[in-house]
Amino acid sequence: MLRWKYSRPLLVAVTLIFALLPFIGNNPVTNPGLQQTMAVAFLYGALALTYDLLFGFTGLLSFGHALYFASGIYVTAILINTYNWNFYLAVLAAIIFTSILAALTGAASLRTTGITFAMVTLAFGQAGHVIITRDFGGLTHGDNGLPINADRIPSFFIGVVNTKFLYLLALGILVFIYLAAWWITESSAGRVFAALRDNEQRVSVLGLNPNRFKLLSFVLSAALAAFIGAGMLVVSGGGSPRFASSETTIALLLMVILGGPVTRWGAVLGGILYSVLGTRLNSLSQGSTFDSLPTFIKGPLSEPAFTLGMIFILIVMFAPGGISGAYYRARFKYLNKGK
Amino acid sequence: MSTFLLILITGVGLGALYFLVASGLSLIYGLMGVLNFAHGSFLTIGAFTGLWVSTKVFPNPTTWTFIAAMIAGGIAAGLFALVMEQLVINRLYNRHIDQALVTVGVALVVAAVLGGWFGNDLRLLPTPLWFMKAVTIGDAIIPIDRFIYIGVAAILLTAMLSILKFTRIGLIIRAGVENRSMVSALGINVRLAFSTVFFIGGFAAGVGGVLISVFSYGVSPGMAGSWLIYGFIVVVVGGMGSLTGSAIAAMLIGITNQFANYYVTGLGDFVVVFILAAVLLTKPSGLLGKVSH
Repeated sequence: MLRWKYSRPLLVAVTLIFALLPFIGNNPVTNPGLQQTMAVAFLYGALALTYDLLFGFTGLLSFGHALYFASGIYVTAILINTYNWNFYLAVLAAIIFTSILAALTGAASLRTTGITFAMVTLAFGQAGHVIITRDFGGLTHGDNGLPINADRIPSFFIGVVNTKFLYLLALGILVFIYLAAWWITESSAGRVFAALRDNEQRVSVLGLNPNRFKLLSFVLSAALAAFIGAGMLVVSGGGSPRFASSETTIALLLMVILGGPVTRWGAVLGGILYSVLGTRLNSLSQGSTFDSLPTFIKGPLSEPAFTLGMIFILIVMFAPGGISGAYYRARFKYLNKGK
Repeated sequence: MSTFLLILITGVGLGALYFLVASGLSLIYGLMGVLNFAHGSFLTIGAFTGLWVSTKVFPNPTTWTFIAAMIAGGIAAGLFALVMEQLVINRLYNRHIDQALVTVGVALVVAAVLGGWFGNDLRLLPTPLWFMKAVTIGDAIIPIDRFIYIGVAAILLTAMLSILKFTRIGLIIRAGVENRSMVSALGINVRLAFSTVFFIGGFAAGVGGVLISVFSYGVSPGMAGSWLIYGFIVVVVGGMGSLTGSAIAAMLIGITNQFANYYVTGLGDFVVVFILAAVLLTKPSGLLGKVSH
């Protein structure tokens, strides 16, 4: 955790540099293509942080988090497209709807614990995915995706020239989610979340109802995910069933493990790295980088999932704590040198 | 009446396939507390091995070559499960969350390797011609493949129950599901039971993979996705660690799924999640479940 004095100014400085990059001189981030990639990466960084709130801070291994992200995307899009709602009102309604959905599904899932909880949330997430792909009532347009009606979103987000505003929007959402997660985890409820993760029995002995706090954590992270979903709707220009798939939740899990849970910045870094890496590995595999290798190695290497999966297995087995964990271990060693 | 019979038997056939996926998941979870996301990979490996046997080894599909394909698929998946257990799961002894996470990684890598080697397209698995036929019961015309799924699942269920009931290793597995620490405290080698359960679970999933490629007309690296999720649901509904529970839940879910889909297309998946929620609200340990880790 970022306790030392220079870490907060450092975070502010990094954010400012990223915010100014699209406007200064001749650097790669002035390119709209990269701005788009970075905007998506920022949103996944924020989403990974909301997942970390659940998985890292509260110790709830959920496999259905994508449902609430997708609910934020689709409810906003449907309200705007079909019912002609005002954009900001639609976002607010999507967040409220998602919170209620999370409260209902969360209350049912929390009757189980541990691994069973993971399976049950997976089933609920899958039901959401099915609802979106099957296109009940003609609202979601199934596998075709649901492009957003461009007339209804603020005009400064439209067009390639304005990609830098999408970039700033995503960065702004990331900062907001970071501050929200900070506030939640440092609040007294956040302390109970951590206590639940470490020793649930002890929490109930102290007279607190564990399930009530777990549900609070579940609903909070879902509401934040819905908010990020509304941002993703604007940045990616529409909804797509893949946002609701279990692969998305698994990707979130990979991001948090890669960056390291329970450190806030770890999850964000993991999300950004994973997202950028996914895009980069894709373009590497389409190029001729691996041409000199024999076919039976080249095939798997050209699949990004292979590299990511291997990294994931190695981190879980040999480097628990991911990037931020390794950093804190190194720092601990450095500070204790000579003692 | 004829439609009713057709839907019922199709539902039981589907349930048989669910059972093949869920049985291993249930045993592995019941004994070791491992949520195995790589179970879908066992299924896919079985299917690809079956495809290899029935195209490269025996190019002319007959009943016997299909049986050979099923057994080869089962053994390949079982061996893979064994290797995974030895190399990965064993090293994370008792770290349940990490074990679940690492199986997610294995599932990703297996799908990527198979995709890299064979491409991500759907490949047809050749079957003997009589698989396409239908039988007439009363006035109902029922495709014959349903009976194959049911028959194979029934044989495997009987075999697994007999192993659990009549062999020494089966006794250890049953005792381990009840109380693992007590079994090891008595000086019995539980590790051997772990490996057995992984092999058996992998075998059932591998055979299931070959049959699923017949059911869904093809083999592809991503074929396991929704089957694995249905497997999880069956395990939760039936109760962790109970084979009979899995079998009953698989039938229940297969049949309801088919009937719901008959009335409204796509409703089936929804009803299944509804059953899951109902079971969790009334009996969180599942229909026949006792253990909780």
